[in-house]
Amino acid sequence: MPASALFTATAEAAVNRILTLDEDSAGRLAALEGQRLVLFLDELPAGLTLIFSKRVDIHTEPRSHPEVVADIDTHTCCIRTSVSVLPKLTQTSQLTQLIRQQALDLDGELSIAQKVAALFGQLDTDPEEWLSDYIGDIAAHQAFSSAEKFKQSLMQVLGRTRAGITNTITEEKPIGVGKLAMLHFSDEVSILRDDIQRFEARLNALDKEQ
Amino acid sequence: MSDSDTTSPAPENSPGQQTHFGFKQVDKSQKASLVANVFDSVAAKYDVMNDLMSLGVHRLWKRYTIDCSGVRAGHKVLDIAGGTGDLTAKFSRMVGPTGSVTLADINLSMLKVGRDKLRDKGLVSNIDYVQADAESLPFPDNTFDVVTMAFGLRNVTEKQNALDSIYRVLKPGGRLLVLEFSKPASEHLSKLYDIYSFHILPRMGQVVANDEESYRYLAESIRMHPDQETLKGMFEQAGFEQCDYSNLTGGIVALHRGYKF
Repeated sequence: MPASALFTATAEAAVNRILTLDEDSAGRLAALEGQRLVLFLDELPAGLTLIFSKRVDIHTEPRSHPEVVADIDTHTCCIRTSVSVLPKLTQTSQLTQLIRQQALDLDGELSIAQKVAALFGQLDTDPEEWLSDYIGDIAAHQAFSSAEKFKQSLMQVLGRTRAGITNTITEEKPIGVGKLAMLHFSDEVSILRDDIQRFEARLNALDKEQ
Repeated sequence: MSDSDTTSPAPENSPGQQTHFGFKQVDKSQKASLVANVFDSVAAKYDVMNDLMSLGVHRLWKRYTIDCSGVRAGHKVLDIAGGTGDLTAKFSRMVGPTGSVTLADINLSMLKVGRDKLRDKGLVSNIDYVQADAESLPFPDNTFDVVTMAFGLRNVTEKQNALDSIYRVLKPGGRLLVLEFSKPASEHLSKLYDIYSFHILPRMGQVVANDEESYRYLAESIRMHPDQETLKGMFEQAGFEQCDYSNLTGGIVALHRGYKF
């Protein structure tokens, strides 16, 4: 089974689910109806096409980046970037700056990219409200309180681990035994072992003479 | 294996010529109505049974077909044997208001289920519904950019006629995608698949759709369908170029592609 189909199906379901959590997203999505964004991420082997209607359809793009750019129309925007830049795309004001920094290749309608950035950047979701529809207000509140406590505990453990690793790297490593010192020590141990073996041999020879 | 087991030069669908309906031999003239009976019977539970039989994987097979279709805004797409409209729904959004999708099916029950489902989804503006026989498509030459046929070809009496007809209605540069059950690539998988198809599937059909026979026909018709290489040869015989296929889920299903230049 092509993994790409599973990936796009999961991404599509997740995106549409998230958009339903924000009632205002329907208005922003309507502004994109009939338009499409082709996204090439350096980390992925193929591009993704996001088709906007009353929902978002996500499909693998069969064409390469140059092929898409060569055949682009007024309803399409094509972006090539990396995963690390994606979170910055939610701020529309950063788009031109990212293009100048060559962190982003953008072809076609810039306004589509801006509308997509607004669609996801202005998301105002309340997952607790959504969960309460299925399991009730109290259970949803408790689930989220527990999750928040777990998150804080996890952050504390991660913080301590990070501090420990930092301490090891910055404080203990410089005063630790270096590679050269270790080699020198090993050489000295070898010399001492040889001396002892010679000394033992000489003692045995003296014993035999007596 | 060819769909037609006879070598007689008699005209098509004339009485006396035999073809298979599952493992049974029937008159060619009877096959269409027998297949129609099957789909009349299963139409209402078709989507549920598809999800159940494939554990939802049919959605991924269809998604892969859509990914390979290269359908773009403004394209004219023909979805033959479109059944309950899974591919048509996606294509409708992909081609946008400047394109169009034609959902064609020989079976009126399936077409009605598909039309109701798509209308419930709010998809009305760019979809046409046509009751049509794949062997003689009622469209002018060079009409469509993309033609798809998902899980329909094995039910057609004369598959080569259907491929010829599709070739005729495709525009030069257009492509055909046929998603169909095929031959598993591994012997072990083939044995497991046989057990599933002939022992579990008909019982599921009985429990869910109250129709064991139709799902026994499904299993039998899959075994009688041409394997990957044979179907590729039939594509080439119809005039398609750059023909290839991709095995999905170990060859249980294959997606065949061909271009008209």
